[in-house]
Parts: sequence; C-alpha cells; structure tokens
Amino acid sequence: MSTENPPRPTDAELEILTVLWSRGPATVRDVHETIASRRPTQYTTVLKQLQVMAEKGLVRRDEDKRAHIYEAARPREWTQRQLAGDMLQRAFNGSAKSLMIGALASRKASKQELAELRALLDEYERKSR
Amino acid sequence: MTMFDVWVQGSSAKAVGWTLIHSLWEGAVVALALAIVLGVARSSRVRYWAACFAMIAMLGGFGATFYRVMPRETGIAPKVLVPAAAVALAVDDAPIGITGARWEFSDLLPWLAPVWMAGVLLFQLRCLASWIAAGRLRRRGVCGVSVAWIARLDGLRTRLRMTKPVMLLESCFLDVPVVIGHLRPVILVPVGLLAGLPVAQIESILLHELAHIRRADYLVNLMQTLVEGLLFYHPAVWWISGVMRAERENCCDDLAVATSGDAHEYATALAALAETRWAVSEAALAANGGNLVKRIRRVLAQPEGPRAAMAPAVSAGVLVVTCAVALAAWQTPQQNGPAIVPVIPVAQAPAIEPAAQAQPAPVASPQLVARPRTLDPQKMAEALKRMREMLQKVEAGKRGQSMILAQNGAGQVQDAVPAPYRAWLNEEVVYIITQAERAAYLKLRTDDERNMFIKQFWMRRDPLVPKPATTEEYPAIARGNPENDYKKEHYRRIKYADDRFTNKIPGWKTDRGRIYIMYGPPDEIESHPSGGTYTRPAEEGGGTTETFPFEQWRYRYIEIIGRNVIMEFVDTTRTGEYRLTMDPHEKDVVPAKQEEAKLSYRDLEAFIANGGTMYNTLPLKVQVSYTPLASSVVMAQITVQFDTKDLHFQDKDNVSTATINIYGRLSTPAGRPLSPFEDVVTVKHATTDLPKFMVANPAQLYQKTFPLEPGRYRLAIVAKDLGAQNRGTYVKLLDVPQGATVQQ
Repeated sequence: MSTENPPRPTDAELEILTVLWSRGPATVRDVHETIASRRPTQYTTVLKQLQVMAEKGLVRRDEDKRAHIYEAARPREWTQRQLAGDMLQRAFNGSAKSLMIGALASRKASKQELAELRALLDEYERKSR
Repeated sequence: MTMFDVWVQGSSAKAVGWTLIHSLWEGAVVALALAIVLGVARSSRVRYWAACFAMIAMLGGFGATFYRVMPRETGIAPKVLVPAAAVALAVDDAPIGITGARWEFSDLLPWLAPVWMAGVLLFQLRCLASWIAAGRLRRRGVCGVSVAWIARLDGLRTRLRMTKPVMLLESCFLDVPVVIGHLRPVILVPVGLLAGLPVAQIESILLHELAHIRRADYLVNLMQTLVEGLLFYHPAVWWISGVMRAERENCCDDLAVATSGDAHEYATALAALAETRWAVSEAALAANGGNLVKRIRRVLAQPEGPRAAMAPAVSAGVLVVTCAVALAAWQTPQQNGPAIVPVIPVAQAPAIEPAAQAQPAPVASPQLVARPRTLDPQKMAEALKRMREMLQKVEAGKRGQSMILAQNGAGQVQDAVPAPYRAWLNEEVVYIITQAERAAYLKLRTDDERNMFIKQFWMRRDPLVPKPATTEEYPAIARGNPENDYKKEHYRRIKYADDRFTNKIPGWKTDRGRIYIMYGPPDEIESHPSGGTYTRPAEEGGGTTETFPFEQWRYRYIEIIGRNVIMEFVDTTRTGEYRLTMDPHEKDVVPAKQEEAKLSYRDLEAFIANGGTMYNTLPLKVQVSYTPLASSVVMAQITVQFDTKDLHFQDKDNVSTATINIYGRLSTPAGRPLSPFEDVVTVKHATTDLPKFMVANPAQLYQKTFPLEPGRYRLAIVAKDLGAQNRGTYVKLLDVPQGATVQQ
C-alpha cells in the first residue's frame, strides 16, 4: 500500500468501508452478506469493488489465508475529516442537525459537564449499595 | 412608482405588518401562560403538551389576526381600501409635509412585510436543506446491523407495542444515535457503538429512540421547524420550541426507563454516549447550559441542583424582554395615533379616547388595530409581578420538599405508596424485583402509573410475548398478554410456599419459601425431618454426626449461580422453621469443633497477602494432579519439590538439618482466600554422609491434598529456608477440571 493518502471514497465505496469499520477485517463474503441484508447486490460486484478499492489504497488486503481478508486502510475518523473538508458537505450535515432527533442529538456536552455526570453516577451507585 | 412600491404600499402588505406587530404581544401572552403552566406542572408529558399547545396557539393567533386585519373584497372591503389608498397617496405625494418631518411608524409599517417574507423564505429554505440532508444521511455511508440486533430491536418494539417497522443502520457520519423519517423511520447509530457498549445499555438507548418513533416526534419536529421559520422574529417561539425539544427528550427518557426498568443503566448509557462523542471529535465545542446533566439527574430522580432552579428565572427574563418588546411596539402606534387618525377614520374612535382604554375594542369591527388596548401596561406589570411571586413560591416549595425527603429518607417515600401497591412491592414481588425497578416504582406518583408499571413488570419477564405479526394480533397484546406464564407461575409458587412452609411466619417469608419462589421446585429434595445420624460425604469432611432436622434441595442448574446447586435448610429450633445455611456443620447437634487453623508463619502469610516481590533464592517446583472424587468434587494433590543441593544444612552434633517453612494458599481468581495451609519440612542426615545423601536423594518432596469443586483457583506458595533465610515463591492459576484425571 502506498503511503499517499487514498482518494475520497464514492458513496458505494463508503458503504463498504462502513461495513469494514463496523465489523473489523472481513472477507468478501462477510461484506457481501452485510450489504445484501439491506439491499440486493451481487457477490461479484462487491468483490470487484473491493479489488478496485485495494488498488486505490482505500482498503488493505491480507492474502495470507485462503480467503482474502480486507481491512479499511484508514480509521473512520480520518475519512470523516477527509469528507468533512468539503465545504458543501459540511454545510449539509450541519443543517441536517435541526431535523434529527435522538437521545443526545442536540449538542455536545462540555468536559465539565461530563465530569459532573460521572460524579453523579458514582454517587448514585454508592447510595444504592 | 414600481410594482414593488405599489405592493408595499398596498393593503395586504399593511395587513401583514399589523399582524406581525400584534403577534408580538400575542406571543408574549402565550409565553406567559406557558411559563405559569410550567411553573406548576411537574410531569414532562403535561409540560410537553402545554408547549405544543402554546406553539399551536401562536400559529393560530397569527393566522386569526391576519384574517381579521386583512381587507376583504366583499362587504366592508371598499371602506378599508379607500383609506389604504389614501395612505399610499399621502406617503407618496407629500409625506414630509403632512407628518411634519417626523419619523412615522406608519411609514415603516408596510416595509415590515417584505423583510418578514425574506426571513421566512430563508428559514424555509434552510428547513428544506435540512430535510434533504437528513434523507441523504440515511442512504449514504450506512450499513445494516447483524441479525442478532435486528431480533433485539424487534423484541424492544414488541415491548413498546409498536407495529410500525423500524430499520436499524450503522452510519459512519454520526457520533450519536438519531432517528430520521416518519413514514419509514430509521434509527442510525454510529459505527462501532453496538459493539462498544454493554447490550443492556444499548437496548435502553434504542428504547429511547423507539419512543421517539412511537410518539411521531420526527413529524412534530418537522412541523415545529416550519412554524419556527414562520414566526422566526419572535423570541417566544424559540423559547417554546426549546421547551418542546427538552420535554420531548424527557418524555422519551421516562418511557425508556419505564420499559427497561433500570434507570441507572440508562443514565450510565447516556453518560457513556456523551463521553464517546467527546472522544470522537477533538474539535471541542464547549457548549454552555447543562441540558444533559439535568436530564440524568431527572432520570435518577435526584434533588435538582442550582442549575435547574435557574430555569424559571431565565424563562421569566425572556418573558420580561418579550413583553417589553411587545409594549414598545404597541405604544409606538399609540403615540403616533393622531398622525394616523385623519387618514384612517375607522380607527379614530378608539384611538383618541383615552377613557376607552379599559374597554375591549369592538370585536366585530374589521379594524383589529385597536385591540391591543385590552392589555393595560399597568395590568401587565401586575401580572408580571404576580408571576414572579408565584415562581418564587414554587421554588421555595420545591426546596422545602427536597429537604423533607432528605431527612426522612426512603421510609417516607414508601409510606406515600398506598397499601395494596405497597403489598405488591414488599410481599408479592419482593424476591424478584430488581433494585432499580424498586427505586423506579417508589418514584411513581399515581395509581395509574403504578398499574402501568406492574403491567410492564410482568411483560418484561414474560418469556413468550408473541410478536405482533399482523395488526389483528395487536389488540390482544395491547390488553396485556392474559396468559402470562411467568406471572402465573410466580403466584403459584407463592401459594405453594404459603401452603407448605407456613409456620408462625407466613410461608413466603420463610427461607424455604424464598428459595422456592425465586428458583422454583428443586430437582431433588433430601429430607431428614427428624434429624438423627448422618454420614457425611467426603467433601464435608467425612465421619458420622448427630443432626437437627434438615433438608437439602438440589437444583441441577440455576441461572447466574451455576450447575448443581445444593441448598441446605436446618431446623435448629425443632419448630419447623427451617433456615437456609451455608455451613455444613450447622446441622450438627454438637457442633464439631472446627480445627482453628493456627497460623504461625505470619510473615509468609503477609508476604502472599501483600503480593510481595517474587523470590527465587530457593527454587521450588510445584506439580498439581487431579483425581475425580464425585461428580462435582476433585481431589487436587499439590506436590512441592525442592532440590536437595539448594537447601542450607546446619550442623549440630554431627547431624545436618535443613528446615523449610511452607505457607500456601488457595484463593479464587478474584482474591478471596479459601484455605491456607502451612507446614514444616525437615531434612536430617549425618553430616559425614551428607554429600552421598545429596547425590542419592536429589529432591525433597512435600505433598498436600485438597477436595475442590471444578473451577478456577489461584495457588500461591511461599517457602523459606530457615537456615539461610532463602525464599522461593510460586503463583499459578489452577483450572480444576471436571471428571477425567489430568496433570498440570
């Protein structure tokens, strides 16, 4: 693998990378099964895609075993930063925030708050014992 | 005059302008009402609905005002249109002349409309962009989750009685779980979260997200964003919107905790989530305002800290500002009243008569312009003062209450639970309810909530909740699975315990009753109702003893505890009150004198206990062999071997002696000591023959045997040669096997 930074992944490549980040190093069969659980796709398509991605340096291939094992070349955070470098992308993801709802979707907690939380939970644990 | 100017000076633009000005005070009134409700209501559901209602009221007020101010084509329309045109002409032709070079509010009024419209356009565009971006987020950089998680999500959905299919995907763009979509909702979790936290914690987070879907929060949020965009100029809208967002999360927190029954687990999960989020993004966005801390406090139901007490004060502050803005806006047209009067005759009557201030304006008239009069500035100030007093009272009440709670502790809380519900907690389910569930139950206020909790309690434990495959099956589950096998079995056990074990104290309270209710009928009961002679098995030390009446219950398997569990109940008082015992000697009438292990080698014991340095000045070899004795007992033989040449012989009267103290200890891997042992090994030989002896006997052995249950132990041995003060240590983990003879 070259030491150069790999190019920005396409959407299809991003999906495969997500599988690899989620599951860790995996065979083509594993990746295909995960993707096929969401949408129909061919085994050979995934295989070809992984081969192309290995050439681009997006994934690493371990050829020691009989079934080749693929692994994401860069950690998720790195790629996320790479993608976020795109101004348009950043504006887009930022604006999506106002519509997303979830346990903690609104905003980030500060370091001080986190410390306070830990103390609160510890205290609760002590009391309930 | 351009088209734009014509439109701006037209009547509809003017109507929009007036609507905007009226909505300022209308919004302030709505916000005031909401603040009062929030000051009183504690339940987050009530608070949420109050905020929703306030939002609708603001939108409705805006629409109604516009409808009334807007001149219509038919009926009264000509009346209004003429003066409006007059205004246009007056402003266009000689504005300075008429108004005497003064800045006129009426000049500015029509220009409000285009400014407002530009703002609305901007906010709605942003909303559209968000919508598209959110849609993209559910397609890009996602992957499906494993089958196990799909099954778990289905289980959680069933618990929440949801029929709508929900997709669970991992996304590489997010650092917190979110819900997107209403018709086909998706829960997106960050990559690695499912593997990174304990299953129970993730389930509680997923419950929160499912609660959002069940409550159709995505849709409400979308509407809310649209209204925000429409009334963006009003601070009250943003405040109400914020209240809605906060209370929405609180509602979902409540639902998640009520369903999972473990508040602490949930709070830990939230904290863990916030921490990973922090770790992920180095770009520290140190936001202010303690939203999350407040929520976790709420979930754990701790008395709120000073941060929480600030909230009403802040909202009151927001209100004061809103009211001030509204008043200012209202007073401006009033001061300028005379300037408008000649041009808008219809507004004349109320405008020039100060006495009319207290009277409500004639509602029937299309000129709602006069309506602000119903709000007297003095009255407003009074209302504000009253509200502030009320807030103070509520605050004081809260503080007093929390002090009482702190003083009286849990007893007070429990007394607040009505008798039948207390009996349910302390008698019926006392052995099977978890700590967290108990805490959650005690926090409930109304019987409705308690009934709901009890229903959920059994549902959580029901092993066979059928999945709602079709909507026809759904109502059956909504009523609660009537054939809850777990619940039926539980009450059967209580009845059985009461029938069989009652004796002075009710059966369910006895030890046998407790074990029976918790673990069900044992697989085997060995009963000795009259005591008598009892031959001890080898693992209890062997021999024969005289015993009290006792019973041994054997369970082949108990979850968490393990296989082949034997419980022994002894009736030491011979009254039929059997008590659970852990000590196999308790059934002895004359307790066999336990040989108190007198330890002499305190130094060596301390050495092991403190995990001291490893020595090897006295090398020792240790071998352990196992011989199965019974199905669950293995004899472990520990052999310690020293090389004779390593020993330090001391010569006395032509006899060479080497003395070694041995101290050893078996403990569980966690460090709980089981059985210490110690011994002295002495080797003696004639000094003259010593070299020959050492060649003939190159090794000295010491053996010790223990009966052990299969499992893992830690063996530590220290040996000390008294002659040279040499020491040797040995530590090893033993895996005591089941059955076959193995050497280690």
